[in-house]
Amino acid sequence: MTKLNVLTKVLCAAALLLGSGFARAGDITAYTALEEDDVKVYLDAFAKAKPGIKVNVLRLSTGDLIARILAEKANPRHDVIWGVALTQMVDPRILEMAEPYKPAGIDQMKQQFKDPAGRWFATTGYFAGFCVNTEVLKKNNLPMPASWQDLLNPVYKGQIVMPNAASSGTGYLQVVSILQMKGEEKGWQFLKDLDKNMAQYIKSGSRPCKMAATGEFAIGVSFAFSGVKQIMEGYPIKLVIPSEGAGYEVEVSMLMKTAKNKPDSKTFFDWLLTLDAAKLYGERAEMSSVPGAKATEAILKAGLPADVSTVLYKMDFDASSKNKDRIIAEWKQKIER
Amino acid sequence: MTTAAAPQGRSAPGLDSDRFVLWVLGAAVVVPLIVFVVVPLVAILRLSFVTPDGLGLGNYVREFASPKFGRIVANSFSVSITATLITVTLAYGFAYALKRTTMPLKRTCGAIALLPLYAPSLVQALGILFLFGRNGIINRTFDLGIDIYGFWGIVIADVLYSFPHAYLILSAALAVADARLYESARMLGAGPARIFRTITLPSTRYGIISAVFVVFTIVITDFGNPMVIGADYGVLATEIYNQVSGQGRMELGAVIGVVLLIPAAIAVLVEKLVTRQHGAAIGENAQPLQLAPHAWRDRAALGFALLVCSAIAAIVLVVFIASFVTLWPYNMHLSFRHYRFEVQNGLAPLWTSIWVSLLAAGIGVVAAVAAGCLARWLKPLQANLLYFLSVLPAAVPGMVLGLGYIFAFNHPGNPLEFLYGTLLILAICNVYHYHAQGYLIATTSIGQLSRVIDETSMCLGAGRLRTLSAIILPIVAPAIVSIGVFFFVRSMVTLSAVIFLVTPATQLAAVSVLLLDDSGNSNQAAAFSVCIMLVVAAALGLFHALVWVFARRRPLP
Repeated sequence: MTKLNVLTKVLCAAALLLGSGFARAGDITAYTALEEDDVKVYLDAFAKAKPGIKVNVLRLSTGDLIARILAEKANPRHDVIWGVALTQMVDPRILEMAEPYKPAGIDQMKQQFKDPAGRWFATTGYFAGFCVNTEVLKKNNLPMPASWQDLLNPVYKGQIVMPNAASSGTGYLQVVSILQMKGEEKGWQFLKDLDKNMAQYIKSGSRPCKMAATGEFAIGVSFAFSGVKQIMEGYPIKLVIPSEGAGYEVEVSMLMKTAKNKPDSKTFFDWLLTLDAAKLYGERAEMSSVPGAKATEAILKAGLPADVSTVLYKMDFDASSKNKDRIIAEWKQKIER
Repeated sequence: MTTAAAPQGRSAPGLDSDRFVLWVLGAAVVVPLIVFVVVPLVAILRLSFVTPDGLGLGNYVREFASPKFGRIVANSFSVSITATLITVTLAYGFAYALKRTTMPLKRTCGAIALLPLYAPSLVQALGILFLFGRNGIINRTFDLGIDIYGFWGIVIADVLYSFPHAYLILSAALAVADARLYESARMLGAGPARIFRTITLPSTRYGIISAVFVVFTIVITDFGNPMVIGADYGVLATEIYNQVSGQGRMELGAVIGVVLLIPAAIAVLVEKLVTRQHGAAIGENAQPLQLAPHAWRDRAALGFALLVCSAIAAIVLVVFIASFVTLWPYNMHLSFRHYRFEVQNGLAPLWTSIWVSLLAAGIGVVAAVAAGCLARWLKPLQANLLYFLSVLPAAVPGMVLGLGYIFAFNHPGNPLEFLYGTLLILAICNVYHYHAQGYLIATTSIGQLSRVIDETSMCLGAGRLRTLSAIILPIVAPAIVSIGVFFFVRSMVTLSAVIFLVTPATQLAAVSVLLLDDSGNSNQAAAFSVCIMLVVAAALGLFHALVWVFARRRPLP
């Protein structure tokens, strides 16, 4: 072994340790809250369509990701934000980092999925659903609920879990949809009545469904796709979409003013609205704004409707993000234990 | 204290080179502590004063005025005090059984006690729910209707979680003793109870106080267990999570992070008050304790140790088994289906984690031992400051530390900005996140050596460097090994701070576990955790084999 050889090895090791984990030229860096397995499928397809561009992805849960983006604000490391809950993204501290961009084909998209100023657009979304464990229902001789109203039935006392609105975006989405549906006064009363049956408020949005899946509780109020996942995994879960209409959330994408590779970022955004991508949304997401997305057999079998728009409650996103601080404060005071 | 008198009779050149050694050591310890602990904390402190109307106390007023704040503080303290009392008592008994009796199976028990250190936190939470949950094995089998969620759930989970930390410190304290003291006591007619009360307990008080401090801060800053098993029992750490991850209100999270520093400050004061009149346990003529077999004592010790071990092993074992079962608890057929990981990078993050952990072990050993030695040679006031800096990180919740690192090192004006996004910063963050434990293991063993050893060595003309390399380090070598192991295993599984520092190219295994669990694949998350534990076990096996080979080749004095 020569001295040079050793030196090369030492330098390589140093480069590995000190080499920055962020993008090189030609790559783009995306921060996303989309599910890990979905990200992989979308990116594999994108790599086939545009082989020259490599997308480096950091995936974190919505809350952690927003915290990271805000903390890194002095020196942002990502080019784009891809698929993060709108209610969290319309925070003025985040919107001011956006560079307006309207991807090709955005005119086909319905109004509620895009920002008039072009700062964000949403390709996919999710909505509320109950994960009901059929084994626990049978064991305790409980009826199958069909609506929010049904959950007030005293037989469910101590058998329901839902996310905590102060720590989970899904939790907030559910509270705000009930307040918008029933009006604030009746809405708060409803939440207080529901509280009598509630076993726990869970700190994450998907965990209530997992707790129902393992049989800890009969009913986990969560979002629909986490129910679909538990069903596909094999758990004795039935997915119930509340008949009053399900509150929903859209997952938005945004180009950063500070992006180091804007052209490739824009190419990536254009691709997100193509028919190729839309087909994948049909297989992977519970709702999509891009024309051409069609739900697959397996998803329909798990209990999702073919036409999602029939089950959604028409949310007022402006109001829900504007009132967020106030509603969470009130929720903490009136409902949280 | 007689330290001041000794060096005066020495020749000038020796003094100068000694002073130089002290300065170099001091700089090597203190500068990194300032850069990697104080600077990020100052960034958090500053953040806690940032309000929409400029700097002010607004965030504190807002947080303290919230009606639930008082109850959350009370909850945090009652959980932490209960768990601390239980953990330290159990760990002391356990360490005593292993270090001061001749019971069999010591190595096995010692290894099992460390299991929770290298099980990702998810394993702990899943294991407890698989066993004690409403639909867990015990309730399903015996139909007892136990409800584990809430206060006792957090206490049990945190006792298991913090047990190895306390055990490591206490066994370092109990490992060394002066046999002559025990012999004289016996000859003067003292019974075992009296010997324990008047010799063993006082000589290990360093260790006890350190363990109390470490366990208390671990429990009060832990948010994983309260999240999964705490139900609606809110504590300060979950309140930080609510503010930071739930609502993106980092300045309010920072306020609570600052509040959590108060118990650490109090603990430092208490530590100094209690150990003010300290005399070292290990004198210059100390004889190692010769343990004699004692039938009933050894049997009782073994019984107790096995009881503790089975509680710890059961939790890990149930997750291990569940990862090989088709669908726990509905379909118990064996299967490998959970080992097909549906994450972007597959098992690759496991190798990144090993790199980071090796780095952390190397840096951690140097940092902790250097700080431990420095503490020995400093004047009391400086030593107190060093102690405070060294244990301070224990009082910082991982999430707050991670955010502090972003604010400090992602800043374009920071000359160390190039570290951000590298593997090195992940290792450094882990070292300083767990610095208190490493430092306390080091000082517990080094602090027990009599200062007369230094004085004698120096009178004989040896400089500090030689005293260190020829006397102190060989004596505490076993503690040094366990410090390295400690940093390695913690870095393999820790999550709360590094979750804010990973990048697309520096993904860690613990993050993969979280991502799998997040996307609803808890079984795959359990399987991935099993892979991590196997890697750690293999690494530890290799490591111990190496130590054994070296010890045989060059026997330690």
